[in-house]
Amino acid sequence: MNSEEKFIVPTATFAEKPAEYELKVQIPGIAKEDVDLHMEGKTLTLKTRSKYQNPAGFRQVAAEFERANYAMSADLPDMADPAALAAKLENGILTVTIKKRPETQPRKIEIG
Amino acid sequence: MNTLMNLDPWGFLDDLLDTGSRTLRTMRARAAGRFPPVNVYLDDTAVIIDLELPGKTAKDVNLSLEPQAVVIADKPAEQADGETGKPENRAPAWSRRLELPFRVDADKANAKFTDGILRIELPKTEANGVRHIAIK
Repeated sequence: MNSEEKFIVPTATFAEKPAEYELKVQIPGIAKEDVDLHMEGKTLTLKTRSKYQNPAGFRQVAAEFERANYAMSADLPDMADPAALAAKLENGILTVTIKKRPETQPRKIEIG
Repeated sequence: MNTLMNLDPWGFLDDLLDTGSRTLRTMRARAAGRFPPVNVYLDDTAVIIDLELPGKTAKDVNLSLEPQAVVIADKPAEQADGETGKPENRAPAWSRRLELPFRVDADKANAKFTDGILRIELPKTEANGVRHIAIK
């Protein structure tokens, strides 16, 4: 199985918000414990392992999606703070929020 | 003679084209995000339908069972109409009707979301839907 392990690049959106970036990745069929997310430098890498199973003893009569292991990587913008990263998985959508580095944020300057 | 006339040696071409166009239609609709991909599994006792619906939960999907078909449709979010404050009647974004090879037992049907995949289990019913009427 390992030799023919297949990975699919998931559908993802990346949005910039005032204080953070938000990456949303569609990984239906993947449970929380099967998500491997890690940061190296400014590269965020995602790999998942699917537990989706064809029901035992049944024959498949329509196949429009398959058991998928997802893999993707993304370089975060310079303003992103790799240390301030949070991820949650909800109903097959992985949301990763990455805060912008504080020094990149607009700062109000008091006039003395 | 009639049977021979009905034998269309090029019928397979139509089938092929039909299948092709259906595939194209499916691809187009899927590209437009119009309906989710399904897997269907069958054995002698039940049919299992899996749909990929990332981000959806039970409240986002309408499931209705006909004697020998199931209709799975998107349930539009209820949005209050700005003018009247009544929920707007909106058409579902997608709807799929799947014909089943046998009658299913609606009471024993089971549907469950797991990590963005909806699995619908429809056991075959013993009753064949035929009612015998006693002649008086």
